[in-house]
Amino acid sequence: MRVLCFVSLVVLASPFWATDGRAQDRGSIEISGRVSVAGAQVKLKRKRFYLFRGGLEANKAMIERIKAASVTSRDCFYCKAKASAEYTTWLKSGDCESPYCREIEGQDIEKVPEFQAAYQKGLKQFRGKPNLAQKWLTTNLTPALRDGFYRDRKTLTTGLLGAAKPLQSSMTDSVSVVAIFIDIPLNIAAGKKTETFLVSNLVPIEIGDKSYVWACEAEISVGKKVKLPPLPLADTSKIVKKCEVVVRDLPKCTVGSCAQ
Amino acid sequence: MKRKVFTISAVLIVAIIFAVGSSAQNRDRFSHSTPAHQKKNCASCHNMPTANWVAARGFPDVADFPGHAACASCHMRDFFRGGNKPIFCLGCHSDVGPGRGPRFAFPVQSRSHEFLTKFPHNVHQDVVARNDSRNEIAVAHFVNASFTRNVDDKPPQFNNCAICHETSTKLPKLETLPPKDKSLTPLGLALTESFTPAAAFFKDMPSGHQTCFACHYTGVKPVANNCAGCHTLTKSYTDTNILGRYSLKFDHMDKNERGDFVHTRDCMTCHVRISQNDDIAKMKDPDVPILACIACHGDKLTEEIGKRESSVAANTAAFQCSYCHTTAIGRFAIPLSHK
Repeated sequence: MRVLCFVSLVVLASPFWATDGRAQDRGSIEISGRVSVAGAQVKLKRKRFYLFRGGLEANKAMIERIKAASVTSRDCFYCKAKASAEYTTWLKSGDCESPYCREIEGQDIEKVPEFQAAYQKGLKQFRGKPNLAQKWLTTNLTPALRDGFYRDRKTLTTGLLGAAKPLQSSMTDSVSVVAIFIDIPLNIAAGKKTETFLVSNLVPIEIGDKSYVWACEAEISVGKKVKLPPLPLADTSKIVKKCEVVVRDLPKCTVGSCAQ
Repeated sequence: MKRKVFTISAVLIVAIIFAVGSSAQNRDRFSHSTPAHQKKNCASCHNMPTANWVAARGFPDVADFPGHAACASCHMRDFFRGGNKPIFCLGCHSDVGPGRGPRFAFPVQSRSHEFLTKFPHNVHQDVVARNDSRNEIAVAHFVNASFTRNVDDKPPQFNNCAICHETSTKLPKLETLPPKDKSLTPLGLALTESFTPAAAFFKDMPSGHQTCFACHYTGVKPVANNCAGCHTLTKSYTDTNILGRYSLKFDHMDKNERGDFVHTRDCMTCHVRISQNDDIAKMKDPDVPILACIACHGDKLTEEIGKRESSVAANTAAFQCSYCHTTAIGRFAIPLSHK
């Protein structure tokens, strides 16, 4: 009986150590955030890209959601949130998406009414300490102006993903302007040397008066780092070299006239 | 004589065990982990902020122990157990007895930690992201305000990792980590090492609430009075504060011959996985893959691998890699990742 139990345990456990011993093949891919617009190079710094198993066909449902999505541009978001012209200008002057982008300085507090109101509230809250009221200023901004745009983007991302599960995500850095996915576990089919993946930014990236979403196929092989060809630009949405490029015109939104 | 020595030794051992036990007991007199304490909300005992925050911290914080009322509701009897020296009171007071005994500085640094901190780098990287891809910087054509700067003005400080991680001013406690691949063996004894890193080689990290509260005091969740938003109760542990490194010679503030900083790039250029890290607990080290180093130092790596292979082929003492590593790790067999 004891022998039978031991044999059963050995038989049951054997698949686990059989797979444990084999390290899964892994690959890596680099995405360049440098795109060419009308002859000039635009650097897509600190932009998030997602990696999905399968190509355009396998991720068709998600790509359809990307095409059909209703997207609010940064300017229109803050326009609808009734941000003052000064607040919008402060964001734009540093190419910022939110007040967390850069330090809010004394002169900014003087000029931007929302900052001024939050600062005054902080002074009361923090027992008259001006340094704290300034450094912790965002804690007293209204939710929409504070992190509303981030939450909007997060909701958009969740909706676009649906049931799709990205294998990894990575951001472009601000110096090399590349996003790198490493240690990608590969399931290469018999007779093939690569596995097909899809790289997409999901959330539209605003360049000039248009926004872009790319969904590009990439073949990843074991060991060697693959470089995705430069992200192609297009005037209208179309497939360019195994890349689905979704292009939208940015609506004109200025204070008091929110187009969207 | 032998019996006497034995008896004295036994008494000494028992005394040491007792002393160690009681000191650990005193150190960890209070535990958040007891079933009764776990049933409580943090706010039922702790005030956020405590009344002493201005003097104690300079910013609103939990800077003191809960008041007597927080303990008394369940522990009234313990207040009087032990006559004039109620041991129970040693949880907060450094000296006990009638009258107001002095309290430990809060929190008691020598005590074991009971909480882990949750911190998602990915969310924070997204939040500080800039919309840096515009062709033109918008100007205030509709606003009576200008954000242009004079030439002499300091450039705007864009938020990045440095909000939390500044260059160290004090050399941390260090240890050289052994290779991740446990099958790698040392090819000889480590050569004498004279290298000592400087404090500026390293980056520090927030050790209190101040950095977090700058954004999370109110408004953005988790807010300051939601302790569980950032902290999870865990088995008590002692923080050694020892930094483990594979490449102890890496200097974040290294300069080239022209005096330019060579490593002050975007942190994500080398810490390539940081933007997808959703929990700091999953990070066991700074997590810089070798490919980040190869981008600039590939020739040095090739050179050292060549020296190693030549020394092994010539059956002489194995060359110990020293460009990035101290000999404690440079003497090990070369891992696959480096080839």
